[in-house]
Formats: sequence, structure tokens, C-alpha cells
Amino acid sequence: CLFSFLSSWLPQMVPSRGSHWQSSLLTLRASLPMRAQPKKKKKVDPRREQAQKDRMKKKIKKLEKAAPEMIPIEDFVTPPKYLDSSRVRSLPPLSFEETERRVLLMKKWCLFKQKQDKAEKQAIQTLIAAQQEALKELRLESEELYQAAIRRDEGLFPFEREGPSYTPPLPGYDPPEGKCVDITKVYTQ
Amino acid sequence: TAAAPRPWRLFGAMCLLRLPRITQPLQKEEEEMAALMEQIELEKSHYSDHEIRKLQEEEQLRRRKESAYDDEDEAPSKMVIMAQDLEEKWEQKLLSFKAAPRITDADKNNNRTSLNRKLDSNLMLLVKQKIGNQELWLLPQVEWQPGETLRGTAERAMATFLGDHIQAKVLGNAPYGIYKYKFPRAIRTEDNVGAKVFFFKAFLQSSDLSQAELKEDYLWVTKDELGDYLKSEYLKKVNRFLLD
Repeated sequence: CLFSFLSSWLPQMVPSRGSHWQSSLLTLRASLPMRAQPKKKKKVDPRREQAQKDRMKKKIKKLEKAAPEMIPIEDFVTPPKYLDSSRVRSLPPLSFEETERRVLLMKKWCLFKQKQDKAEKQAIQTLIAAQQEALKELRLESEELYQAAIRRDEGLFPFEREGPSYTPPLPGYDPPEGKCVDITKVYTQ
Repeated sequence: TAAAPRPWRLFGAMCLLRLPRITQPLQKEEEEMAALMEQIELEKSHYSDHEIRKLQEEEQLRRRKESAYDDEDEAPSKMVIMAQDLEEKWEQKLLSFKAAPRITDADKNNNRTSLNRKLDSNLMLLVKQKIGNQELWLLPQVEWQPGETLRGTAERAMATFLGDHIQAKVLGNAPYGIYKYKFPRAIRTEDNVGAKVFFFKAFLQSSDLSQAELKEDYLWVTKDELGDYLKSEYLKKVNRFLLD
């Protein structure tokens, strides 16, 4: 009733509307054919989606072709907090006697290690010589025993053994409980 | 194949080694060098977080003493754990731990039949065997029987003296050494000139030998003590394949 009131009140410039579904009289003709458009969208959408997929694949290929990033070795990079100069140790400079003593000790050590190495190599040579002699005698005895002896022992390697510790294991020792949380950073290329 | 039977009798012997369980003591040069390396490492290093904390706390303590207890609102109410206290606590914990002794009772009694002595060197098994009409201390040996390899003979020798349930790892199929000897003229014949003893090496895996020891006369000795028991020629050949 409000519409009819308005149409009667205003001068004859505004055209009267039949119903409020019509947004304007000019679009009357356009509204009906617009509902026929969805049929065209069905063809465009798969093509658009296909084009999108192709673009994504091209991007992925480009990324893969780029060289993989190097994994940083954490041991070779000094964390910045240790480069601070306030951390430098302040010690008195070494005296002349101290440096002399160190140099002489290093020379003695050199000699010691050289003798030790030579003795080890000599021991290995005697070991090998003794084994060769034994195999020679065995060959003189019987060929088949010799062949059995020089065959490879498959069960020998991998050979595992726990090394010696400073004190022997304490019988009945109960180690304290603790939890170990592994915080190593794992990088993937 | 009908080869003429060789005049040598074959024996397989097993040298069973118990590997060391503790580290050998450092020699004088090694100790001096170790001390020097520690000193150099200390000189080249920077302060760690713990040390910086310690230095700062010492500074604070000093300043508080110099300022003659002006700021009393800090110290008594807060229970701050100082780095020094932490160090002392750790020291106490270390001292309260008692490790097993490196020199065991068997060492002190010189009980050569026990496996618990000389934990820092290799121990070898020696048994008393009757050869001819003599009782000798030898590495356990047994005569070779046709149909088995020499390694099998050596393993049989080990089993004869220690029982079946020992866990030993034999190092390979080849013998490590040989001892050849001729019988005394009285027993020597055309077919039976002498004997060849082939030595094999094995590492003892388990330290528990409670089910073992069929014969009473056995010893576990180190390389240096071998000379007390073995004859000179035999000892010479055995020493060649033993590393110390």
C-alpha cells in the first residue's frame, strides 16, 4: 500500500513497478536471458582448472631443477655468542723456560711415538712371517688341509667388541635414572 | 689319492686369549704430554657460560662487601644458588662414588688360576699335558683326526679342556704359528719322525667359566709369565704370534 501511495503522490516521472523482483524496468529484458549463461561455464571451468594445474606443475618443476641447498655443517659454524670479545681468557704470558720446556717435550714425544710405531709394525711383520711359515709347513703336509686353512672365514667379520674402560665394572651397580632428549637438528634437502 | 703317509704327526693347539678389560697405565712421556695438551687447550679456549657466571658472581660479592652491606634487601631474602656452590656439590658427588679397584684380590694373592687378575693385559690358557713320558705345561693341544680341518682340531682341544659351553671367537681358518719337533731317537721310526703342532688363536667372549675346567692343572698367564712355564724352543715359536 506504501508503493501505491508513492506512485499517486509523486508526479508522473517515476514509472510504476509491477513487483519488487524487477530491479529496474530497463533490466527487465536482460534478467531472463541471463539464466541461460551457466551452460557456457561448464566448459570454461575444466579448462581453467587444467590451466591452473599446468601452472602449478611448471612451478614445481622449476623448483626441482634448482640445485638442492647445501646442508650446513653445524661444527664448522661458530655460534655468534662465542665471538664476543668479553669471553677471551686473560692469562699471564708464558715465560721463556716454559716455552723451552714445551718444545723439548714435543721433541721427546715425537721420538717416543716413532719408536712405538716402529715396534708395532715390526710385531705385525713377525706375525705375518709366522703365519706364512705355518701355512708352508701345512702345505707340505697335506694339500686339502691347506686349502681348508686358506679359505675365507665368513663368520669373522663384522667383528664387534667393547673396548676397555678405566675401572672394571662394579658388580651390582645401579646407574641413576635419567632421560635423554635428542635435540639434534635434522635437515632435509 | 695314494700318497705315501707323511712321517709327521699333526696336532692342533688353541691359544685362548682373555682380552684386557681396563686400560693400561700411561707411561711417563704419555702423562707429560697429556698434561701439556690440557694446558694448551685451556690457554686457547674462551670462557664458558659457567665460568662467566662464576666471574660475575664473584664481582657481585666483592662489590657487596666493599659497599659494606648497604643494600640488605637483596641477599637474605633471595636464595640464589651460586656457581661455586654448584661446583662444590658436583665435587662431593664425585667423591662419594666408589669405583671398582683396578688391582683385584687375585692380583694381590697372585692366584694364577683366576680370570680376574691382570685386567689390563691379555691372559692365555695353559694346561699341563702328558707328552711321551713327561708332564709339560702347554697350550691345550689334541691330535688331528682324519676327516676334520685343523681349526676343528683346535676347537676340539678347547672343548676337551674347558667343556662345550665356552663362547670363543676363533680368528680365521688359518694357523698362526707352528712348532715342529722330532721325537727322541728311542721312539723314532720310519713312519713316525716327529710332530707338528699348529697354533690357532681365539678370543674369549664370555667371562663366566663356572661350568668349565675338567682338568685341575690349568693357568691363565700373561705373555711375560709364559717364560716361567714353557720350554725355550716352544716359547720362542709361541712368542712370535703373540702381540702384547
